[in-house]
Amino acid sequence: MAKDTKAKGEVVQIIGTVVDAKFPAEELPYVYNAIEIKRRDGYKLTAEVQQHLGNNRVRCLAMDTTDRLRRGDECVDTGARITVPVGRACLGRLFNVFGEPLDDLGKVDADEHWSIHRPSPPMEQLETTPRVLETGIKVLDLVSPFSRGGKVGAYGGAGVGKTVIIMELIRNIATEHGGFSVFAGVGERSREGNDLWHDMRASRVIDKTVLVFGQMNEPPGVRARVGLTGVTMAEYFRDEEGQDVLLFIDNVYRYILANMEVSALLGRMPSAVGYQPTLATDMGALEERITSTKSGSITSFQAIYVPADDYTDPGIVTTFGHLDAVIALERSLVEQGLYPAVDPLTSFSRILDPRVVGEEHYQTARGVQVVLQRYKDLQDIIAILGVEELSEEDKQAVARARRIQRFLSQPMFVAETFTGRPGRYVPVKETVRGFREILEGKWDHLPEQAFYMVGGIEEAAEQAEKMEKEAAA
Amino acid sequence: MATLREIKRRIRGIESTAKITRAMELVAASKMRRTQMRALAARPYAEKISWVLADLAETLPFIDPEALHPLLRRHEEVKAVEVVFITPDRGLAGGLPSTLNRRMASFILELEKPVRAVAVGRKGRDFLGRTGQNVVAEFIDIGDKPGYEECRPIAQVVMEDFIAGRADEVYIIYGQFVSTLMQRPEVYKLLPVEPPAEAATVGVDYIYEPTREEVLAELLPRYVERLVYEATLEAIASEQSARMVAMRNATDNANEITSDLTLVYNKARQESITSQLLEITGGVEALQAE
Repeated sequence: MAKDTKAKGEVVQIIGTVVDAKFPAEELPYVYNAIEIKRRDGYKLTAEVQQHLGNNRVRCLAMDTTDRLRRGDECVDTGARITVPVGRACLGRLFNVFGEPLDDLGKVDADEHWSIHRPSPPMEQLETTPRVLETGIKVLDLVSPFSRGGKVGAYGGAGVGKTVIIMELIRNIATEHGGFSVFAGVGERSREGNDLWHDMRASRVIDKTVLVFGQMNEPPGVRARVGLTGVTMAEYFRDEEGQDVLLFIDNVYRYILANMEVSALLGRMPSAVGYQPTLATDMGALEERITSTKSGSITSFQAIYVPADDYTDPGIVTTFGHLDAVIALERSLVEQGLYPAVDPLTSFSRILDPRVVGEEHYQTARGVQVVLQRYKDLQDIIAILGVEELSEEDKQAVARARRIQRFLSQPMFVAETFTGRPGRYVPVKETVRGFREILEGKWDHLPEQAFYMVGGIEEAAEQAEKMEKEAAA
Repeated sequence: MATLREIKRRIRGIESTAKITRAMELVAASKMRRTQMRALAARPYAEKISWVLADLAETLPFIDPEALHPLLRRHEEVKAVEVVFITPDRGLAGGLPSTLNRRMASFILELEKPVRAVAVGRKGRDFLGRTGQNVVAEFIDIGDKPGYEECRPIAQVVMEDFIAGRADEVYIIYGQFVSTLMQRPEVYKLLPVEPPAEAATVGVDYIYEPTREEVLAELLPRYVERLVYEATLEAIASEQSARMVAMRNATDNANEITSDLTLVYNKARQESITSQLLEITGGVEALQAE
């Protein structure tokens, strides 16, 4: 693909982050090639070719700010796509979208560099046997069990705790997990990246982890590509080393948004709700590569922002189909102080199936959902007529639903500073048993509040005892 | 966010609920007034019977206990207690049924003796059945305006049981009508009859024909019947007033939810219009730019 002599062109138009360049007719750079634009002050700006416009002009997406760029600035075709270092040399390091280290730890000495644009694995290579992956978070293990090598999306509006969930998963899974992890920070707060970097160094997980960041401060070109950088690094471990890799992406919606930001500038007509017409394609380009093959697996956890809490938003709808499990975070639960604010009625998992998780787990999860749904249905009646008017059966359902709701909350390790309670890791078996016993009515005698922010069911009993003592004192 | 159609459907559902509860409130209000009138109308009879009984009772201490009318006779050992438990037949009466049930439960628990329950009204019967109490008789569907005749069998059952010695004391529990906003569960000892101590007749020296004893024997059952009848009317008045208040609250709650939902609905509607406008203008702009 690389040419002998590098083609040279010049900038002819700059619209925001989109740059048009003119090249000699016979030497037009390929689509997705990286070109370098030399600013007069000596700085080199990388841009990615997106379109050929005719008249020897190509339209490029700048991977950095276009400030101080002028028409007539020289462009050089690098003859290749953006490539990033891959392999074990990357472990313990912090990268930007180009695979350049950001951690002041010196050069990355990688044997191989891979292009960030890669085809997704062929269908016959895909691995599909589901196996349960324990997370230690009650609500997730119960209604939305994760599969090894599967893809999980944590959905939620602003400030409902997506990042906390992802961090807790990193804490519970990545630290226990023997293999490598890749974290891609896409368009989220830079501070969070910094915190993660320091936390991981403190817990020594960093030695098995690659961090890639393109946060909010970066231009859309970077945010639209940094996810791919992360995926590429994970793919290497999967394909070349046959590893089981964990991939964390926070936040996939920023990837969609970045593509949307440049879409109109690239001359595409906006589609529904202003999204790019290529929404599904963009989504597929990222998501289809995150998958498990016969050689190795990528288990991915993705945080997905839901604009205005609207789950019917086209950007959100496009992501659903790609995932094996969906965790829906609900604002109304946050308002009740129930963390993690996972809605057990809308969250689902493909492997919540008696053949995978077992009959008991399946029946318990469904039972919990039935009771909670009944409570939800009754809420209007309760609001109008009061609890007194319910039949005995419904009163009991409401009482159990409220206990279940509280028991679904759990203190998080990463949120210890906020809740003041040490985190809890609850094995799946304990979780299922706890909920089954609540459904069976074994714990009807405990006050509701005893179930709030505890680990296993025995802890609820302890808390009830403690509350009783305090009340007596 | 729920779709416009879903919100609209919920609003409509709640509005029709509000219509029903409003109608029930009005019906309950008129029934309450009627029951109060009936209670009032029964008062002169009640007063008279009390006076006479009080007057007759003055001589009681001098009568040989063996010769005392059985309804007046104290049973030396209280082995079993019978309770007439008057509750509404139907729900939607706010917290009244459960307040009564709770009072009944605490009464039974305090008593620590075998209780024979006479259930008047479905709510109480269901409660007693659920908690495994011994229900010896039940009177369901006595309606919203029972006459004296409908209440007599209740009194007769307990009097028979008392005389036959199946029960050594009889109580009645019902909702006392204090005011429209307040009903209080009331526990009253029915048997053995404790004659009223009113002194309204002091100074009048009645002559009884044929004898005091015979008049007393005739009057006592009526007195018990009257007490039961009075309690029933009270219970119905309090049921209706509780229902009226509960339904008024329900109507208010429903209206509140409707107005909240209407706000949500309008917001969602405006949002969708805005986004449609944006899409159309955006599309036009994009076409013109070509």
